[in-house]
Amino acid sequence: MPMNDATHNADSPLLELRGIGKRFRSESGTAVAALCGIDLAIQRGQFVTLLGATGCGKTTLLNIIAGITGPDEGRLHLGDDVKVGRDVAYVFQHYTLFPWRTTLANVAFGLQMRGVPRRQRRETAADLLARVGLAGFENARPHELSGGMRQRAAIAQALAIEPALLLMDEPFGAVDDSTRAELQQMLIDLWQDRRMTILFVTHNIDEAILLGGRIVVFGGRPGRVVRQFDVDLPRPREKNLKPFTDLFLEIREALSTGID
Amino acid sequence: MRTISPYWKKPGNESAGSSVSGRPVRRVTALLGSLAPLVVLLVIWEIAAVRLDRPWIFPPVTRVLEQLAHPLREHYASGSLLSNTSISLLRVLIGFALSAAVGVPLGVLMGSVACFRRMIEPIVEILRPLCPVAWLPFAIVIFKLKTLPQLFGLSYTRTIWDQVQLGMIFVIFVGGFFPILTNTLDGVTAVRRNYVLLARTLGASRRQVFLHVFLPAAMPMILTGLRQGLGLCWFVIIAAEMMIGSDSGIGYLLMYASDNAAMDLVVAAMFIIGGVGALLNYFMRTVMQRLVSWKGKEV
Repeated sequence: MPMNDATHNADSPLLELRGIGKRFRSESGTAVAALCGIDLAIQRGQFVTLLGATGCGKTTLLNIIAGITGPDEGRLHLGDDVKVGRDVAYVFQHYTLFPWRTTLANVAFGLQMRGVPRRQRRETAADLLARVGLAGFENARPHELSGGMRQRAAIAQALAIEPALLLMDEPFGAVDDSTRAELQQMLIDLWQDRRMTILFVTHNIDEAILLGGRIVVFGGRPGRVVRQFDVDLPRPREKNLKPFTDLFLEIREALSTGID
Repeated sequence: MRTISPYWKKPGNESAGSSVSGRPVRRVTALLGSLAPLVVLLVIWEIAAVRLDRPWIFPPVTRVLEQLAHPLREHYASGSLLSNTSISLLRVLIGFALSAAVGVPLGVLMGSVACFRRMIEPIVEILRPLCPVAWLPFAIVIFKLKTLPQLFGLSYTRTIWDQVQLGMIFVIFVGGFFPILTNTLDGVTAVRRNYVLLARTLGASRRQVFLHVFLPAAMPMILTGLRQGLGLCWFVIIAAEMMIGSDSGIGYLLMYASDNAAMDLVVAAMFIIGGVGALLNYFMRTVMQRLVSWKGKEV
């Protein structure tokens, strides 16, 4: 991460959350706290993984950062040059592509919305598709792609708008293990090439360690930050080495305290 | 609607509209299989009609086919099968185009603007159950027998357009309008919120979301509405043409032939009405398969 930080002049964090809280009204009408007192700062160029059990409010936090829902309390501060709806891309787990568009048109969507000429955006989209290993699938529709290929295309779609911040909500949750390993490696390569900032939500400890420069462990009811880990293991990270497994056990302990 | 291919058929092998594929021999067998019951039915009909020997009640199929083989023959100065069919079809296409032009935008608007929907929906719900033909007396009083050319200041053009009465158009419009509106509305309401959010995070404005998300996402339902609407328009025109005050159209010819005990012509007209309806439906289904091949395959 320091190597990425060096290339940006601003020292201020890209994203800063102070005391973010969010309540939902349950079906019976009582207010349920989904998030409580979230403090989090993400530096430029960091790869942060947000780790927590299902239903602990991780997605809600991403939605707040993406501007989809507003927080009930607390402050959210994005860097001055970062604007929601322009510089923050969001990769979902499901329904990540428009089914009526071809793969190429899906990747070009963001550029089309900002009025980039047709030929230029198609060129950019084709380059990105090649970069994520989908050359030759430009004219396929999403339903003709496999699950892993769809997530590749979704990543290309997000990268097309050259986001300052990339939010990812369990993007590899629905693909098989070997495909997931390929996608993880591809994402790391892309992150290193493009020096972007990524906030990646997962419930898988291995995935959090494999990807993250920092791991934010989330606890549930209400959703809160339990502990943060800075990971300085060299990449590519090897799952079977002792530092990895030590960290794994430590994180697992932190996770279990968060559940209680 | 899409036919589901059985597992032994390779996907992508099916052509639009035909579920039969494979070697030519199998294709011929399949065709024979689907035609055989029809032929048997016609043969039984022929034998029964000939034995009954009352063609003004139950005409033999050969006499019906003979009528169908002469579509240009004039009947009682009311035109031929072909000219009357053309008149009906022209009326339907104009009325249908109008109902689509109003129904689709209104449905999209109602689906995306909640307060607008609350205002319009009660009116729609009251008028919708009303049979379109019930509007005919009202339409005739309002529009008299005014025709489309007269609307544009032309008195008598001596063309097929003189047969396009505004009252007829109005009734067809009502027939097509409601299925188009309600299907469009349902389609827009059912658009996944995810697609809207995805578009917003990728920088789409409200107008762009409308154009690039709501409209294409609702397209399968819009086309379903158009298909149902066109079918209903064809239903309605036949009924409207059989009413008093009509003097042309295939429905009128059917009624006129019946009054003259020309049952062979009545049945020939019935064949044509059924055939044209099936063709219209087939056409709309093909368009749909072309335009929304992704339907039902959201992932």
